[in-house]
Amino acid sequence: MSNEKKWGDLEIAAVGSAVIIMGSLLFYWVLEIESMLELLELAYGSAKLFNNPLVY
Amino acid sequence: MLNSMLGQYRRTIILVVVFLLIAILEVLEVRTTIYGNSLPFFEWMKNSSWLGIIGTTYGSVYATIEAVHLLSMAVIGGTVLATDLRLLGVVLTDIPSETLTRGTHKVFRNALICAIATGIFCAAGVADKVYYMPVFWVKMLALVAGGCFVFLVKQPLLNSMPHSEINPWTIRLLATTSILVWFTVAAAGRWIGFS
Amino acid sequence: MINEMLLNFAHWLEAQSYSQMLVAGYYSYSWLEATHVLTLMLSIGSLFIIDFRMMGWMLTDVPASKLAERLNKPMLIGFTIMFITGALLVYAKPVETVQSLWFRIKMILLLLAFINAWVFNARLKAAAGSWDNDAVAPKAIRIGAIISLCLWCGVVTLGRYIPYDWVDCAITNNTTILWAAGCVDQLQALQ
Repeated sequence: MSNEKKWGDLEIAAVGSAVIIMGSLLFYWVLEIESMLELLELAYGSAKLFNNPLVY
Repeated sequence: MLNSMLGQYRRTIILVVVFLLIAILEVLEVRTTIYGNSLPFFEWMKNSSWLGIIGTTYGSVYATIEAVHLLSMAVIGGTVLATDLRLLGVVLTDIPSETLTRGTHKVFRNALICAIATGIFCAAGVADKVYYMPVFWVKMLALVAGGCFVFLVKQPLLNSMPHSEINPWTIRLLATTSILVWFTVAAAGRWIGFS
Repeated sequence: MINEMLLNFAHWLEAQSYSQMLVAGYYSYSWLEATHVLTLMLSIGSLFIIDFRMMGWMLTDVPASKLAERLNKPMLIGFTIMFITGALLVYAKPVETVQSLWFRIKMILLLLAFINAWVFNARLKAAAGSWDNDAVAPKAIRIGAIISLCLWCGVVTLGRYIPYDWVDCAITNNTTILWAAGCVDQLQALQ
């Protein structure tokens, strides 16, 4: 695509909404993973994902 | 002047207005008010609406509808993956992406309608529980965002011109967002079952 | 006979520390289950697109064999993940699963689905090129597609039934169901 081409309404709206939606989803997932790791640390004392509770 | 601008940048303006509106409503704490006041509705859904009564009385009906919900999810996921991975150039590279976006859309839409219909039934059966789950509300938000994104923005843009004329990075962004949003909806749904 | 063997095998599996670890881990079982269910989108999703195309319900302007060929790889990747996570899910709760009537029917349907897929593929190859651009596939292939759709719907439905306990060994007294579900101890107690 040539750079001189003017950005149309649809393209601006598409890129804008995509950035907002993707940004908030990534934000959510990062927070979610963070809280999961915290919970694992609370449970096992370390953030190992597949701890063996029998050994612990 | 204003009219022509409104016509030319209609969708962009609507997008900005919607997000300003969300921000204002958030500041005015409208969301928390609605949340607080919607509990009776959820309780009614479970205990008094016929959806909730059927769902809580007949376990086998509930499980079967859940299975239909899962099958719709599979079809949604299949069409989304086929179309968006094609847009990203991963699969079906020798089939024109225009053909795929047009051809899969109807099936996607029907599967989404089916998933929402069965989803309402499934939610009604456990309405008093899902009300308190953040992950349920995340799913609903992602569903609304994904629906608006696909039907009002992504599909109109991809159908409006040959994809070679659209900036490739725009297409990649749209495809990644679409995969991420539907993945979130599905994953959050599965997590409702665990919570 | 076979019921006893399966049950003994399940008990042996259940005694292993890795099996117990999968169930007791904070997230491990949920993640396995979530991966198993979400991969439906890749495996069944691709498969249904192919079947829908054969039925003439979607993408009628794409050559059918091309679509089937190109979607084969993502579909097989999906089914591989489903098979691995599914096996691990059985490994995590072997005794319950082996004595689940739904699980047993699901395995039979899976077997039928794979036989059907094999026959379907052979028919597809035999008819290659003759109808590729038609909107609807020939009748023999359409029948295969419909059978495949029904069988996989059944597999998913029964998979959803497994965690429910309507016909659990402890609940039923019907000897046929007890035998079919492999409830060895309950059957002996009744006799």
